[in-house]
Amino acid sequence: MDFTLSEDQLMFKKMFADFCAKEIRPQGEQIDQAEEVPADLLEQAVDQGFWAALVPEELDGCGLDIYTYMLMLEELARADMSTALILSVHNSLVVKPLIDHGTDEQKNRYLEALAFGEMLGAFALTEPGAGSDAAALATTGTLDGEDYVLDGTKIWVSNGATAGLFLVFAKTEEGITAFLVEASTPGLQVGYREKTLGLRGVSCNTLYFDGARVPAANRLGEGGQGLKIALGALELSRLGMGALALGASERALEEAVQFSMEHIQFGVPIAQKQIIQNYIADAKTQIEALRCLVTHTAWLADSGQDFGLQASIAKLCGARTASAVTDKMLQVHGGYGYMKEYAIERYYRDCRSLEIIEGTSQIQQFLIARNIYNAEGLAIQP
Amino acid sequence: MKIIVPIKQILDPSGMTFRRDKERMFINREEYIVDPASKAAIEAALQLKGDDDTLIAISMGLPQADDALREALAMGCDEAFLLCDNAFENADITVTTSILVAAILKLGGADLIVTGHQSADTGSGQIGPRLAEALGYAQVTDVSAMSTEDGVLQATRRWGTAEAAYATVEAVLPAVVAVTPEAFPPRYAHGARIMSAYRDWDVPVWDMAYLGLDEAALAPLLAFRREGFPPPLEVGERFHGDPADVAQEAVMALKLQKLIG
Amino acid sequence: MDFSFPKEYQLFRRMVREWVENEVKPLAKVIDREHRVPHETIKKAARLGLMGVPFPQKYGGMGGGEIGYCILMEELGRACSSTGTVIGAHTGIGAMALYLDGTEEQKQKYLVPMAQGTAIGAFGLTEAQAGSDAAAIKTTAVRDGDDYVLNGAKVFITNGDIADIITTMAVTDPALGAYGGITAFIVETDTPGFSIGSLENKMGIRGSSTAECVFQDVRVPKENVLGQFGAGFLTFMKTLDIGRASLGAATLGGAQAAMEASIQWAKAREQFGAPIATKQSIYFMIADMAIDIEALRSLIYRTAWLIDSGQPHILEAAACKTFGSEVSHRCIDRAMQIHGALGYSRDHWIELGWRDQRISEIYEGTNEIQRIVIAASLFRPHGLRIPT
Repeated sequence: MDFTLSEDQLMFKKMFADFCAKEIRPQGEQIDQAEEVPADLLEQAVDQGFWAALVPEELDGCGLDIYTYMLMLEELARADMSTALILSVHNSLVVKPLIDHGTDEQKNRYLEALAFGEMLGAFALTEPGAGSDAAALATTGTLDGEDYVLDGTKIWVSNGATAGLFLVFAKTEEGITAFLVEASTPGLQVGYREKTLGLRGVSCNTLYFDGARVPAANRLGEGGQGLKIALGALELSRLGMGALALGASERALEEAVQFSMEHIQFGVPIAQKQIIQNYIADAKTQIEALRCLVTHTAWLADSGQDFGLQASIAKLCGARTASAVTDKMLQVHGGYGYMKEYAIERYYRDCRSLEIIEGTSQIQQFLIARNIYNAEGLAIQP
Repeated sequence: MKIIVPIKQILDPSGMTFRRDKERMFINREEYIVDPASKAAIEAALQLKGDDDTLIAISMGLPQADDALREALAMGCDEAFLLCDNAFENADITVTTSILVAAILKLGGADLIVTGHQSADTGSGQIGPRLAEALGYAQVTDVSAMSTEDGVLQATRRWGTAEAAYATVEAVLPAVVAVTPEAFPPRYAHGARIMSAYRDWDVPVWDMAYLGLDEAALAPLLAFRREGFPPPLEVGERFHGDPADVAQEAVMALKLQKLIG
Repeated sequence: MDFSFPKEYQLFRRMVREWVENEVKPLAKVIDREHRVPHETIKKAARLGLMGVPFPQKYGGMGGGEIGYCILMEELGRACSSTGTVIGAHTGIGAMALYLDGTEEQKQKYLVPMAQGTAIGAFGLTEAQAGSDAAAIKTTAVRDGDDYVLNGAKVFITNGDIADIITTMAVTDPALGAYGGITAFIVETDTPGFSIGSLENKMGIRGSSTAECVFQDVRVPKENVLGQFGAGFLTFMKTLDIGRASLGAATLGGAQAAMEASIQWAKAREQFGAPIATKQSIYFMIADMAIDIEALRSLIYRTAWLIDSGQPHILEAAACKTFGSEVSHRCIDRAMQIHGALGYSRDHWIELGWRDQRISEIYEGTNEIQRIVIAASLFRPHGLRIPT
């Protein structure tokens, strides 16, 4: 067993870390305030390879392995959670499914645009009546000549207003089917942007499909294969949430350690107080446990093994860790932790989303339990 | 001027859930409140009351209706009386009227009796007119504004079904007025008066014997059979077709209902 | 043993609940969004005697005692933490210090208008280097003729910019340290030399103002020394001790609101073919909320009773604040989880409650300080002093 990073991995990690620290991190407060990640920042990220992380080198992408991709997400989260989520959705939920399930023709048509900043990706699964119960979705895709006609509503679509390409899931004759839908498609309207507690730099929108014609050539995978594609994409994305949680928790710890060394009460920096030390130690312990989990799961993915169960575990553990660590690190800041000049309150708000998005913690619990019981021959229901 | 306000204590409707599919009502929070119509009546009376006037609240109810009367005192009533007896249990609207009339006469009558136009629970809307008939007083119902001068009441009430049509009615006191709840949003009681509502007042309890009522007077005319849901109604209008056309039709319909300009 | 509230308190709660529902709750999101204090609500509260609930009627108060005050704070906590914070800082600590340690003249001059809500109060203790370490304050008060001249700056003062009267702690003898060297003063904010520095930009309770208060040669007459000269530390400890019970009551209200919202949502929202209220993951969370709330409710009102009956209450009041803030944290967090994505949306109340809740574990003595207070009171009878 060798946990050392290869030279390539080290190089990428340093490149990502440097860019994130220098360009993204200082903009965190402004991104939250303006509720927008500046377009030029995302463009700069293109040049650094953030949009092409998983695109194979043959197609001029970075061709990162999953582990290095996780390092990238960790660094992004350390700098800013909104930016991290935008790029995670793009890479894990659109680029990767396209690579895994797309025809050569589809890849030729879209991968370059996705990799080089022309099209941001978004994932449209959730509906008003289909949240945790994703299979209950009601958007329809009716075959009409050479097109599918999509009708329905999708909500909470991250990157909804900024995406150029949507991966949309609809019910066709065969079952749930996946479609690549360009933003300019007539009949597709981007609607209301949700006002969120955190991740305020991410645009989450409602999408209306009203007789939207999508060429049959844009169907991703086979008819009825859609749910499998969605759940497969979500597996990688959930692991990514673990990496986001890791980066965010590390940032929170860093902020608290700094603050505790500068803030003097009772004649000494509060870092000298045992209870503060305990909080710091507990946070570090949780972070390192999460790191091992993310590392191990990424290795499973990179060695071609099933990693769905581990990905759910990583997300569940990550969400809980990030919530607990940001909460305690905010407490270390005392009253200052409640003020917007300090980054910690933003991380506290941002990280709370991790227990909800991409499958709530309760759904992760169900998936983990189901994996265990199915292996024993027992079927369980949510 | 002596003003009497009969008030009613009811089960809080917001603590109830009505389940059509189960054909019954569930009480998920059993709390008693002063009927909003009664509170409006108290408010209307308080607005009218001058320094030399006396405002008396009476209530026919269970022993816990004492709490409703304390609330009336906290709001500003001068005295309160509870009309309570086991024999009142099956009272219908006729019996309730007899009991209230007995109490009002015991108090020596009034110059003005103010009630709510319609209670939130049974909602018969009859108490005001029945009291007036039994006492031989003038009556004005659905009143949204009023004043008194030299023994004459001036009241504004809705007139007919035409929109925004009102009539000002004059009545020589004594009179019974039933007020429109929306026109008299009740005031909040001052905290200090709430604290003293139970400490500084006595609320006498008058029973059947004290009110001089016999069994004949308490025999209801109405028999309660059962309660249930009305049959389902198809309400509203559906529009079909091209979205642009539908939008036009919907706007027209809203305009006809005078819901938009 | 009779655990029921006396009838007048039941009536008081009913009427306050209705007032809060109609007058306070509709403004909760508005004042958060507009980042302003609900002055209109404060005026309405004053007219109903709600700005001086715990104080006797002879001082212009409502005569409701600590029990009545906890009821008010609980009902406000159910609807709007910001409004609760504004009224709480005014009544619970600003005016309370005067009630506990003021002379009759001072009470008539200052407590009466504060209790009646015609003057707004604040509590001026915290400084940049003196948060948890309150004794480390540096604002000075130097005798000059018949006055004391105050110089210094206070931070994180709730109501600082809207107060007419600030009960302020200043150092009168640096050599004597906390015990003997600090004095409490009643400062009228229209005194020349008093000004407001910055207003904080906070995560929550944005409908309350948190201000920096600057004292530049502010002259305070010697009649405005509050309590015993040099015993300011005791004055502020006593005030904060009592204030904690009602802070706990506010968090009880918040937790209660979180549970009620969760029950309503869980029975309405269907996933996997049934209301989510029928799923163990969900209803166990709600059951846990109910357990927390029952325990907190008993703690709060028993502590209020201890205070009203003149019994020792330091440990219990600190427990109210600590347990209450942690209960409300758990409850609003569970409520957010039950509401799913809706809980994360600013179109709904939950995220506001979540943001507002977090400060309760920090202000008026962080929960770490509360635990020091509790431990100290446990070990004191054994002769052992607990260091901070």
